[in-house]
Amino acid sequence: MTAKQPKDRERKKRDSSFSLFFQSKNLYKIIGLLVIFAFFLLPVLRLVWLSFVDDGSLTMQYYTEVLKEPATWTTVKNTLIVVFGSTILALALGILFSWLVAYVELSGKKAMQLFIFLPFVIPSYITTLAWTQFFSASGPVTAILSWLPGDLQAPNLYSIGGIVLLLGISHYPLVYLFTVNVFRKIPRELEEAAATSGLSKKRTFWKIVMPLALPGIASGGLIAFLSNLDNFGIPAFLGTPANIRVLSTYIYEQVVGFGPSAFSRAAVLSVILGVIALAGTILQWFLLRRSRVNETNRSDSTPRIYLSAGKQKLLEVSLWVFLLVTSLMPLITMGALSLISAYGVPFKLENLSLRNYEYVFLTDSKPLTALSNSLQLAFFTMVICLVVGTAVAYLRFKYPDWSTKTAELFMTIPYALPGTVFALCMIFMWLEPIPGWNPGIYGTVWILFIAYVTRFLVLQVRGSYTAFLQIDPSMEEAARTSGASGWVKWRRILLPLLFPGIFSGALLVFLMALTELTVSSLLWSSGSETVGVVIFGYEQAGYSTYSTAFSTVLVLGILFGGGMFMLLSKLWDRKVLKKND
Amino acid sequence: MIKVNNVSKKYGSFTALHSIDLEIGEGEFIAVLGPSGCGKTTLLKLLAGFMGPTEGTIEMDDLVLASKKRVLPPEKRNIGMVFQSFALWPHMTVAEHVKFPLSYHPNKVKENKKKMQERMNEVLKLVGLDALAERYPSELSGGQKQRVALARAIAPLPNLLLMDEPLSALDVELRMEMRKEIQKLHRETKASIVFVTHDQGEALAIADKIVVMNKGRIEQIAPPEVLYTRPETEFVATFVGKCNLVKGQWQDDQFVPAIDSKNTWPDLGVTASFKENGIYPVRPEQFQLMPPESVGLQGVVSFVQYQGHEIHYTVEVEEATWTIHESVFSKRFATGDVVSISLKSSLVQKEMLISN
Repeated sequence: MTAKQPKDRERKKRDSSFSLFFQSKNLYKIIGLLVIFAFFLLPVLRLVWLSFVDDGSLTMQYYTEVLKEPATWTTVKNTLIVVFGSTILALALGILFSWLVAYVELSGKKAMQLFIFLPFVIPSYITTLAWTQFFSASGPVTAILSWLPGDLQAPNLYSIGGIVLLLGISHYPLVYLFTVNVFRKIPRELEEAAATSGLSKKRTFWKIVMPLALPGIASGGLIAFLSNLDNFGIPAFLGTPANIRVLSTYIYEQVVGFGPSAFSRAAVLSVILGVIALAGTILQWFLLRRSRVNETNRSDSTPRIYLSAGKQKLLEVSLWVFLLVTSLMPLITMGALSLISAYGVPFKLENLSLRNYEYVFLTDSKPLTALSNSLQLAFFTMVICLVVGTAVAYLRFKYPDWSTKTAELFMTIPYALPGTVFALCMIFMWLEPIPGWNPGIYGTVWILFIAYVTRFLVLQVRGSYTAFLQIDPSMEEAARTSGASGWVKWRRILLPLLFPGIFSGALLVFLMALTELTVSSLLWSSGSETVGVVIFGYEQAGYSTYSTAFSTVLVLGILFGGGMFMLLSKLWDRKVLKKND
Repeated sequence: MIKVNNVSKKYGSFTALHSIDLEIGEGEFIAVLGPSGCGKTTLLKLLAGFMGPTEGTIEMDDLVLASKKRVLPPEKRNIGMVFQSFALWPHMTVAEHVKFPLSYHPNKVKENKKKMQERMNEVLKLVGLDALAERYPSELSGGQKQRVALARAIAPLPNLLLMDEPLSALDVELRMEMRKEIQKLHRETKASIVFVTHDQGEALAIADKIVVMNKGRIEQIAPPEVLYTRPETEFVATFVGKCNLVKGQWQDDQFVPAIDSKNTWPDLGVTASFKENGIYPVRPEQFQLMPPESVGLQGVVSFVQYQGHEIHYTVEVEEATWTIHESVFSKRFATGDVVSISLKSSLVQKEMLISN
């Protein structure tokens, strides 16, 4: 029958691609891994190498020099205080919210979730700006405090406490994200079994719920820890004026200080930062050593604890007050204060004008150039990540063996590294990709582009991989037994089903690249400024009104983009995938 | 005609299939039966082309579909497949599901729009979905989804139709109905069908020939009635017929149970392999229970389960535990009763009597 027709074609194929592919499968795997190694892991190794080398010979000179300085130890101490404090704050807030949302009957959970994520989509340096406005002399906090009796002062954010607060508030959504589904997946029968065995509600929580939620809490805690360690914007905005340094800002100061041994000293500090990050990862592994994760449990979103109507209202109101005060109010304050004509004047009608906006977008040429740079960088990074990341995710999904797992691990490293460390790695790698050959990438916009793709690729890989996991393999198999191969299969079946997942991954990459500050603050050059660099520059020069005006426009853009995304994915679900909710 | 020659499949150090040989004739309906992990799904995936064999070849009408070195991908094979989870595409209507293989399958008819429309209507009518052509999967019931999956698989008139436990996602009533539907489709399309299932009732009811698999090997290939009444291995006897394996001695055509040598049982159709091993496979309904004073082996009833149409007794006989099914109209016994067990003198089942 018809199956006979392709016989000749098949015979030709036997001699070319197909059999070759099977025979040299391992060769392809090794070549692929080597390429990935060169792009993702080699830069890190070169950084470590550089911290031990002086004029081509091995030395511990930089280590002894840096470790002898008291400034190093003050910085390490500050880093540890800030990171532990903010991680505990993020854990407390994150666990509290995820437990409440997962377990307790509350109305408007979806809207609540949206507000929990708001500090996460707004870059942390803009959040910090907003908070400084919120607590500033013309801000609402001072206004309210002056109404109250007694000589109350708004707390000073330019302190270790302020840094801890801002880091905690910026990163508790990460803990929430990791724990909410863990709570939902704890089978309620386990709690019922504990209750019938005579445990009180409180003891059930500590004996049953918490141990089972520990894996999620530990992973969320680790991510919050790494993000707090990595964060540059918050300590740079709040710490620098108060002369408080943490490792990430100290490394930055070394590099921009351009001393004779600046890069080597920065490399040593980066290694110290890396050691702290590694210690956190080991701590998490230690906590999870004996716990077993049960992935097959179904997620159960119906509430398990019902409060009386009055108590529920009270809880809802207090949660909303917290959410609005921490996420929306500072942004609104920032927007409002960007309209006052000069820093420090009271918020009154006669002081309002659009002068700051006029300066930022018409007089000064930098913001518009930076916006265009950042948009282009973000767009091209997104496109490259979209194609490469989805291809990697497909291979990872199709061939889940050691090679693809190792590849994903390599790609995770640039993202897991603190931004300042990663930026240094990029400088060492691309200044002279092959020792002795300088192609002139460093000092142009290209190094930013390479750095962004290297850093954010794993986000797309994860996003697309999750999308692949969510469609049943039989969807693709059914397409193939129906005769669809190659492009037809992708165009007609896989892409329509994968679109929402892949698209949300791409959007995350775009957003991260658009508002990125840490990496670009070390890699920018004249003419390749990014949005983050310009706002940082204004802030360092003391032009708070300009930075708030520019930030307000960015926030509105991000919120508009996020809204469009939510609308589009909802439409796609309803119109294309015919999901009814 | 499909030939599976000496096919093995290994996943790392685990061998899922050990040297399988199988022939599927033109228009034959074959059920592959076995417990989970027996390799039946692996066999189906090899037939579909989702993976290649580690050893051996698969041929269809003299064309080599798969060998150790080369695998013809599923989209180039003349096959159709029905999946356990139906695998309907949520973004396509019923009509689009049927049109899809008509446009891309090796047997496609896309040159002719009118012909394609005709074929689509014909298929939809055959599965009784002509009124629902514009619906999406989310707007269909379980049975309707199953019909769409069937329609999509048979639309391009494939040589070979593969079914991977297609009924296990349906409830009991619907499953009985869909069995008849699949038999009807087989009559009308005349395609060869390989139907994988772990439900022995389903396999017995639906297939021309049953392949029983266990631990990656084929235990027996036979028509349903032969398989049920003349099992060749212990696994087939217990998995398909739920037989009690009674140990004893075969003397010519008489069996003497080891437990009680005063009794002899006639040969009601036991295959040579059991006779060599001194075993008599007795199905639960072949036994009969009598009061203790009657002739037979003595046992004690340990469990009684009422099933409506029959009664299931568990009886302890010396060291052994036997399952015995009796009609509700025969004499009843209670837990703890001493009973006498003998074989019902039913028809002797010779292979030639029932193979057709």
